[in-house]
Amino acid sequence: MNKYKVRRYITNFITLIILSLFSLVIVYPVYFAVISSIKAPAEYVVNKTGLPQNPTLDNFAKVLTQMSMFKFMLNTFILVGFSMVLYFLVCTAAGFAFGKLRFKGRLTAFTFILFIQIFPQMVIAGQIYQLISKMGLLNTHLGLILVWVAYFAPFGTYIMTTYYSTIPKSLIESARIDGAGVIQQLFKIMIPIAKPMIGTLLIIGALAMWHELPFSMLILQRLQLRTLTLGIALMQGEYGLPIPVLAAAILVTVGFPLLLYIIFQNYITMGSVAGSVKG
Amino acid sequence: MKTKLKQEAKDGWILLSPLLLLTFIFLLYPVVSNFYFSLTKWKGVGKPVFIGFENYKTLFKDERFYRSLKNLGVLVLYIPLGVLTPLVIANTLRKGFRGWKLYRVLLYLPNILGPVILGTIFSVILSQIGPVTDLLTKLGVKNAQEIYILGKSASAINSLAFIFVIWMRVGFGCIYFLSAMSSIDASLYDAAKIDGTNAWQDFIHITLPSIRFSIEFFTVLAFIEVFARMYGIIFTLTGGGPGYATYTLEYGVYMISFSAYQKGYASAWSVILFFFCAAIALIQIRLIKKGENN
Repeated sequence: MNKYKVRRYITNFITLIILSLFSLVIVYPVYFAVISSIKAPAEYVVNKTGLPQNPTLDNFAKVLTQMSMFKFMLNTFILVGFSMVLYFLVCTAAGFAFGKLRFKGRLTAFTFILFIQIFPQMVIAGQIYQLISKMGLLNTHLGLILVWVAYFAPFGTYIMTTYYSTIPKSLIESARIDGAGVIQQLFKIMIPIAKPMIGTLLIIGALAMWHELPFSMLILQRLQLRTLTLGIALMQGEYGLPIPVLAAAILVTVGFPLLLYIIFQNYITMGSVAGSVKG
Repeated sequence: MKTKLKQEAKDGWILLSPLLLLTFIFLLYPVVSNFYFSLTKWKGVGKPVFIGFENYKTLFKDERFYRSLKNLGVLVLYIPLGVLTPLVIANTLRKGFRGWKLYRVLLYLPNILGPVILGTIFSVILSQIGPVTDLLTKLGVKNAQEIYILGKSASAINSLAFIFVIWMRVGFGCIYFLSAMSSIDASLYDAAKIDGTNAWQDFIHITLPSIRFSIEFFTVLAFIEVFARMYGIIFTLTGGGPGYATYTLEYGVYMISFSAYQKGYASAWSVILFFFCAAIALIQIRLIKKGENN
């Protein structure tokens, strides 16, 4: 018994060290971004690792006004907001069909959706660019919204399918007897019933879109239309950009997801396994 | 009965139509059309000129192509450790661990920040004139500037692999495996205890077989990430460099297509990448179907 206890202490201790090391690798970059963002560029050059001597918010003012980060933030909210509405409708409708209805061709269509979602954005990016230009949607938010929903909806559909397949079919049977059409069934029964899953669906989708780079880079070539993530990715390559300014831009970009994470952290971390773990 | 079935089929296709319409136009057509464009010379404007298998001949002589394959090989070699690390940690946490909630918040944080932000921050921190060099110098390391791990081929690809395959996935992996382990029947462990097994034997004979599906699925997800989801971090962390040290097939497609405007040639790279991804997708689909039958 004693030997067992000692062993347990040792394994716990080793786990603690590993967890701490891995955590340090995330804590330090975030800490570095925070302390750098409130240093004046001149101070950063001589003081890279220490706390700021004269904290300033100038960098934030600069990225929000002169560097259009405020505009990028508005663009991101508009793009993610509208995409989420469309994404939500597409995923719940398709999840309903795959999870609850039985018809010929269903399995083939489902396999197709699972198959097509795997391809990297780069494999389709070239042709997406051509398609979007031909449709006259280059440099429009609508173009990016359609592409985002097309690219991210298959995974969302998969999540909703696994959820809906656990729900008793009797619910829609009774609605059908009442004469409700399929669209009514979707809005009156299937969407309300999926409440526990909808939060997860939206968070997974919104984060994926918030972080998305290649499609926004291709479709939104005008500065005024850019997203936050695209703004950062292109900013980083700019020659001579002071690190404190970049750090402020980084914090502006992650501010909103971080805020949501702080509020809903339990929900988000636990929801992340949805659709991939079998009960 | 028959009309009911007909009605159900009609309803099904109505519900699927938005998803199918979007995926056919924006995913299926682009993926499939690569096969045609890979046989052409095309700059992205004007008419593509059919040139047969010339692009593939160029590809098999291209140094970048072999570097990309070799780098993917290095990344894949990190996957076992990327699966084992969270698995072993989760196994310890399974019996309860004070402070796990705090670690969970921190370890999952990379998923919230996203690859573009992480790549950007790490490229600053690990740069030759960055804070890490500064810290090392202060600690008395001589010529700390020469360590510059992103600046040398071997250390660059290994750093990228560590960050992307192990570190970024540890938080999700622990949560994922813990959730899978929580559904293991506790009486299995009780029975084993009576037999006098130790923790290691429990892990090998009870835990691993019970969550085999989850381990396989997590491994497949790691392959998807490596072959198909690395563009954002490579672009911001190393830009594929130094030289071609952190090129992957995915990144190569980007460079050839959008920096060099050789769209036809890039399509040939895409076709090769297609086969890797298709193989992974088929394995994943088989797993999902197997999981559904259980």
